[in-house]
Amino acid sequence: MMRIIKETNINFIGSRKFSFMFSGLLFSLGVLAFVLIIIGEANLGIDFTGGAEIIGSFENPVSVDELRNALSEVGHGKAKIQSITGEGFENSFMIRVQGSIESAIPETTFAEDGNIVVNMVAAEGDELGDLLKDAITSKFKENKFTLDSTNNISAKVGEKLTGDAIKAIVFALLGILIYIWIRFDFRFGVAATIATFHDVLAVLGIYFLLNREISLLVITALLTLAGYSLTDTVVVFDRIRENLKQFRKRTDYPSTINMSINEVLSRTIITSITTLSVVLTIMVFGGEVLFDFALALAMGILVGTYSSVFVASPVLVEWETRAPKRVK
Amino acid sequence: MRRGQFTWMVVVILAIIISFVLLYPSIAFYSGDPEIIRQEDPSRFFSLKKRALKLGLDLQGGVHMVLQVRDPRGGEVSSYVQDQVLEKIRIRVDKYGITEPEIMKSGADQIVVDLPGYTDIDTAKTLIGSTAQLQFHLLRSREECEALLLAMDSVLAERLETGEEEVGEEAAATDESDTTDQALVDLFGEELADTAAAELDEEEFEKTRPFSALLDRFTGAWYEITMENFHVAQQYLEIPEVQAVIPANHTLMWGTRPERLGDRDFQTLYVLNSNIEMTGESLVSAQEAYDQLRRPVVNFELDSNGARKFASLTGKHIGEPLAIVIDGRVESAPEIQSRIAKNGQITMGGDATISEAYLLAVLLKAGSLPADVEILQSTVVGPALGKDSIQKGQTAAIIGLLLVVFFMAMYYRLSGMIADIALLLNILFVLAFMVIPGVNATLTMPGIAGIILTVGITVDSNVLIFERIREELRTGKTVRASIDAGYDRALLTIIDSHVTTLITALFLFIFGSGPVRGFAVTLSVGVFLSLFTALFITKIIFDMRKKYKRLSI
Repeated sequence: MMRIIKETNINFIGSRKFSFMFSGLLFSLGVLAFVLIIIGEANLGIDFTGGAEIIGSFENPVSVDELRNALSEVGHGKAKIQSITGEGFENSFMIRVQGSIESAIPETTFAEDGNIVVNMVAAEGDELGDLLKDAITSKFKENKFTLDSTNNISAKVGEKLTGDAIKAIVFALLGILIYIWIRFDFRFGVAATIATFHDVLAVLGIYFLLNREISLLVITALLTLAGYSLTDTVVVFDRIRENLKQFRKRTDYPSTINMSINEVLSRTIITSITTLSVVLTIMVFGGEVLFDFALALAMGILVGTYSSVFVASPVLVEWETRAPKRVK
Repeated sequence: MRRGQFTWMVVVILAIIISFVLLYPSIAFYSGDPEIIRQEDPSRFFSLKKRALKLGLDLQGGVHMVLQVRDPRGGEVSSYVQDQVLEKIRIRVDKYGITEPEIMKSGADQIVVDLPGYTDIDTAKTLIGSTAQLQFHLLRSREECEALLLAMDSVLAERLETGEEEVGEEAAATDESDTTDQALVDLFGEELADTAAAELDEEEFEKTRPFSALLDRFTGAWYEITMENFHVAQQYLEIPEVQAVIPANHTLMWGTRPERLGDRDFQTLYVLNSNIEMTGESLVSAQEAYDQLRRPVVNFELDSNGARKFASLTGKHIGEPLAIVIDGRVESAPEIQSRIAKNGQITMGGDATISEAYLLAVLLKAGSLPADVEILQSTVVGPALGKDSIQKGQTAAIIGLLLVVFFMAMYYRLSGMIADIALLLNILFVLAFMVIPGVNATLTMPGIAGIILTVGITVDSNVLIFERIREELRTGKTVRASIDAGYDRALLTIIDSHVTTLITALFLFIFGSGPVRGFAVTLSVGVFLSLFTALFITKIIFDMRKKYKRLSI
């Protein structure tokens, strides 16, 4: 029999002071990120801010700097430019310009002295992609630029998406709270919801720290990891419930919970390993589209595993210590 | 083997057979080159395509558009108007010949259009986003155009002078007006502006005749402007003072598309009579064609009421140009040769191609939209990106699967291999479920990620069971009793943990859009089916042997 860990008796509950501090830090980071997202200061993807993304190939090699020069002539020198490789992609680039506030098309106006001034004004997503394309084709006349894919999004679409994403998360958390309340009891439901909420915010916070772009797929990943982290928590809770039935009168509450965590620890670790390995595969082989999605999931698996052990269960203990219900 | 078990085995084997039958068209369609099948046997191609797994826009390429419906009077958009716009767009797309479009309402005032496999975004934008309002206008006379040009020049010159305090210079500019007038005559004499500019101090001309300086040619009732000056001219026209000198019965309007003359590209600015002589509402049919000069045109036919109006309009103005206006742009302004009644012809402006004429004919046939639409999002996924995504998704799925299969077999030995069988069957069932007639789910790139993730979650059920069996074995129970107890006690945990995943997937499906929905579908189907594969099927396999001395776990 191959075993990663033998029977353990680690005092998880005893270290809850430290874990609460650590979690509090992650939690506040997440809250900060959330606030910044709402006021539009975070690194949001064009799904949310509006903007344009084009993918195309040149006939002959072009350097990123040359391309940036061409774009800066229309006021988009700060565009995100990424070289793309893969089958069917040669001398290919992805160019992304975010937000309709920074995004601009030139507008000619008159200055006081009668000179003509070229100003940059906000452009809606739909015009922006054409502007980028035209800037490139007119600059590289000898080197044919063929467009493969474009994505032009107006900021108005983003408003709806942000609203939908928040609704999805709120409803999912509520649904989970109610389900666990029915299946276990109210305290378990609240503890599980706190842990889940913690995980979502923690990953959001880490994402924010890494300054990685928060796209629609990343939000999807956040919801998925909410489901995953819950699976983990439920497995631990299930064992706690089972053990509480048998040991209620003989042992005290914290050690029963600690024992339960230890009992399911090998399952927790093995499942994390298998799930993490497939998510890492998506990260490595899934390409640009899925990278951030998989990265969020990978962090979610780590945080979710941590939280089922160090957040959800200690919350139960803390609650019981303050307002005894089970131990007579 | 007990009888109940035998029944279950039959069920499982049947499920496997049905899955393969369901997936056969997909395997046949995607394993070869679809283009080759299309050429060799078109009927087989379409029958396979219809039954094969549908790929999302992100995988097979295509156009995705989000439209905002706007009431022209600025009020709320009623659901009736939203329906009408949707219906019109559907007619246009069908008439244009794009297959399998998906046109849906979104919210109270938006419409989402998906055109799988279609990648010409510019045509799609015109086809779907244009109002297609056809109008006929007469043009202002040459003298009126000249007067307007002078008026615009003078307010612009004044505006440009503001800030320059030296009155003397201004006076000097006025003194020289004679010379510039002379230059204008040259310009009006249809000579190229370059020549005119060369004859006089170019700088001075630009100062006193700023708008005329932008013109390349002035022919009758329209101005021709090179593309280099096009943008500046547009800005000039937006200045309130310039707007103020344009009489109410004059309308300045740009042509639909630029025209190439020699080595220069032009945009044409028409000076129309503001009065709408006629609209396209009485149009009954439209058809693209070539005229005698092999130029693309659109022939149209009017109903009897429209024919009467059109005959009187054209009869009265023989020899004059008639501007054909579509959505605030002049398509062309051909000279009326004779009185026209029922059958008219629209000459395509600029360097139009026959496909542009076809597009216009489709738009005119389908009729104009009852409200304005604004394109909020236009996305096109090209064939290269789609192919690349499929390639990467496949690689990731295969490697992820192998990793898990290998790990389980290593860690739980023979039992792990049983779990692996369940895992593979789970993927088979998920894919088969997606092509069940009536379900017809779409596979997207995030959907592939969902399937890969399901792999990780599915083994969790077996991990739970196996860990439990190991625990039971350690307490000294027999193998048989341990297996039964393991399954028994893990069952509730597995159900509880899966339901929570299903709850989140459900809300993702409700609030998600496009690719995200694809993810929610594969994830929830995968998790749901894993109850069957990871619990039932593995148990059946374990129960095939009645007595165990020891268990490979």
